[in-house]
Amino acid sequence: PLSGECALVSFWSSILGPRKSFEGGLFLPEQKSVTARLPIETLRVDGPLHVPLRVTRDLGTEAVVAMGDRVLRGQRLSRPTEWGSVGVHAPTSGEIVGFEPAWTAEDGFVPGVRLEPDGADSSVPTTRGWEEESFMVQLAEKGVVCPRPRGSAHARIQSAIAAGATDLIVNAMETEPFLTADLRTLVEESGRLIDATCEIADAMGARRVLFVLPFRHRRVVRRIENEAIGRHVEVVPLANKYPQCNDVVLIKTLLDLEVPPGGCDIDVGAAILPLAMVRAVADATLDDRPLTHTVITIAGDIVEQAGTYRVAVGTPVRRLAERVGTFGPIDTVVSGGPLTGTAIDRDDAVITAVTRAILFFGARTRPDPVPCIHCGWCVEDCPVGLDPSILSQLDATSDEIEKPEHLEVCVDCGLCSHVCPASLPIAETIKIARRRFLDPPNTLPIETKAK
Amino acid sequence: MSAARDAISETWQTRSAPHLTGGNTHRHIARSWISAAALAGVCGVAVYGPGALGVLVVAIFSAAATDVAVGLTARRPAAGGFTHSILTGLILGLTLPASVSVVDVSTPTVASLPWYVPAVGAAVAVCVKALFGGMGHCLWHPALVGRVVVQFLFWQHLSFSAGSQTIPAPVLSPGHLFVGNVSDARRIAPQEYQGWRVEHERTPSYDAFLIERTVVQLRAFTDGLVEAEREQQFTTLIRDNLPPWRDQALGTVPGGIGETCHAALIIAGFFLIYRSHLRWQLPAAILISAGLAAAILPVLADGTGESYRWLPGIAVENGRAVGVSYVVFQLTSGPLLLGAFILAGDMMLSPMRAKGQIVYGAGIGVLTIFLRLYGPVEGACYWSILVMNTLVPTIDRALKRPVLGLAS
Repeated sequence: PLSGECALVSFWSSILGPRKSFEGGLFLPEQKSVTARLPIETLRVDGPLHVPLRVTRDLGTEAVVAMGDRVLRGQRLSRPTEWGSVGVHAPTSGEIVGFEPAWTAEDGFVPGVRLEPDGADSSVPTTRGWEEESFMVQLAEKGVVCPRPRGSAHARIQSAIAAGATDLIVNAMETEPFLTADLRTLVEESGRLIDATCEIADAMGARRVLFVLPFRHRRVVRRIENEAIGRHVEVVPLANKYPQCNDVVLIKTLLDLEVPPGGCDIDVGAAILPLAMVRAVADATLDDRPLTHTVITIAGDIVEQAGTYRVAVGTPVRRLAERVGTFGPIDTVVSGGPLTGTAIDRDDAVITAVTRAILFFGARTRPDPVPCIHCGWCVEDCPVGLDPSILSQLDATSDEIEKPEHLEVCVDCGLCSHVCPASLPIAETIKIARRRFLDPPNTLPIETKAK
Repeated sequence: MSAARDAISETWQTRSAPHLTGGNTHRHIARSWISAAALAGVCGVAVYGPGALGVLVVAIFSAAATDVAVGLTARRPAAGGFTHSILTGLILGLTLPASVSVVDVSTPTVASLPWYVPAVGAAVAVCVKALFGGMGHCLWHPALVGRVVVQFLFWQHLSFSAGSQTIPAPVLSPGHLFVGNVSDARRIAPQEYQGWRVEHERTPSYDAFLIERTVVQLRAFTDGLVEAEREQQFTTLIRDNLPPWRDQALGTVPGGIGETCHAALIIAGFFLIYRSHLRWQLPAAILISAGLAAAILPVLADGTGESYRWLPGIAVENGRAVGVSYVVFQLTSGPLLLGAFILAGDMMLSPMRAKGQIVYGAGIGVLTIFLRLYGPVEGACYWSILVMNTLVPTIDRALKRPVLGLAS
């Protein structure tokens, strides 16, 4: 119910834009005009699937199928062997033809199975889990995962409860160019998302529930606000200045709290859940569907049929490229957003449950770097107030170098490299330095390789 | 389909994120600065004739030749390269006058600026740039260093006054733009000068007018040297000693090649701001602080030339706010606008953050007016920019952004 005063406030706020923002950041060209208008379609590809049996390399699972087994869609392929792990389900019906490691962009090789589809796509009988199982058990049984940070959804919620998090924030800000999976989900599944958010908030015992989405898409905001009427959900539209989607920046903007360097959202009493996890929770609890497909954006400057697609987990990226078609030779394949994603350099890479997007780029000339010209653009745009031009003066090859100051504060948004007029690889250098000084070896995938 | 299958070869590129770059490289930056400076240069050629074009060409050629020579001899090539050297030469040419006036007892004569003045200046500028290590590594603006060096070396050509006598400078008359001969000049005393267009209607036979520089007149006013009746000092100054404001705005007054046409300079500055190669805070800070300084700092104009008069900006005579006109003349005379839009905004020499640029710009504005009113040197704007360039590392260090998560 809008009183006169509220209508006035809403009128002015729709003209002036969202009130909250953060220092730094950049409004990037969105490049979403094509894919944002197309509905989510299920993309079926021919040929065998190569399903990874684990969500991350660290969370152990064991296979529950054997060579030559016939499986149905939704049938369990692996089961967890430790707390916090989840099993994987078959995305379609078919025959198990082999056990081979699958290559994922996030983790490199993980154990996997080859599944030859029979084309029938027959499903196991749906169990009505909500009649007998608790919310957490449903999430664990249906194999729901949380994309950021990678892990299982029930472990994510339980660790938030254990840490005493009181704020639940659903992050539907997609401020990176090209990405439209969250936006299309908001358009097509708005009611289910609010329902699932309330379910998670109930399970968590959250006192405050914030639903963050881009202010720019006014009609989507209005639709979500209508769905949230009478629910314990606060809809917060924010300007889509990159990197508003980042957890650290989002907490600074919304709660005016600063996450300690190297910390995460739970340290300040808030749990930020990506929209992809809320969508998977909705599928698992409202429809009793296990997580077998993921919604990804397939785009890039040379893609013929760019769009938002629902793709089976385990689909090879090569088959996707053949399916959507390209205008020219592919030069770079990126898993994730163009500013934070991981380049794929292997032919046998597969889609995983946490993939957000696959971007195909044609050949582009990248100018040779020249020494820093002190333009100050990276300092101006850094969302956490670092001076990337100083951090980037590290010599990536020498060993006897002391740890630069504030290295652990960097949130890897990539803006410094993006804007650098001297074409310096600032973000890459910081990433390498952080891997050397802060992370123990072999816990992160190697993304940087000599060209 | 098969084409796509062939397309995905083994040559997929692997790089770390980000995979999308903004596409705004240092070459684009140098090009847009050259465009902005060239606009001011074209207006200068219009007002000062072919001699101005010669000065600009010599400066650019000298800068390019020096860049090549330095590149051949240096062990390591300087960053930024050829384009930035061209820009440096062009900017140096903009700060130089197009002609030299020699004041004799009988008749003043006007000659072109000797070719070696821009040549030496540009060579010094590019050498200084190369010594520091190229674009983005200089402490001082290289073109201004070259300008100051030639001011010392060739003071007899570039000085505004000889002894106690001020030296007038030429400007082409209407109908003779671009092609007129500045040597065919008629000297007009400030009291008789009615304005560019009016003078042309009165005496259309001359190619150019030889009139006093606005900066020099303002300095004489500050020193109490302008003859004026009591209680009417500002009115006398503006009516008798300064050109009309329309001439000031269009640039049809004597001065350096690129520093008088304020309309062109403002357009060039807006272009740079639009291209995001100049932050609007910097020229705004320079102009606002210079205006405030001109409005506050005292002048010796009380009619007797003995006691200082503070707050000239609020002076009112005969019911007219002449103090405001005085401030506007201070802002539009000399190279202040060239400094605000093209010299000070060089992103390699100014502070990194907008907040630092405001401090830097405020320093330039106040220092320019202070040096212009009381300083011993000519070209106050150049000196104040060089002084503030020296302070840029300090400003950057003092105005660091707080790092997120480390506030305690």
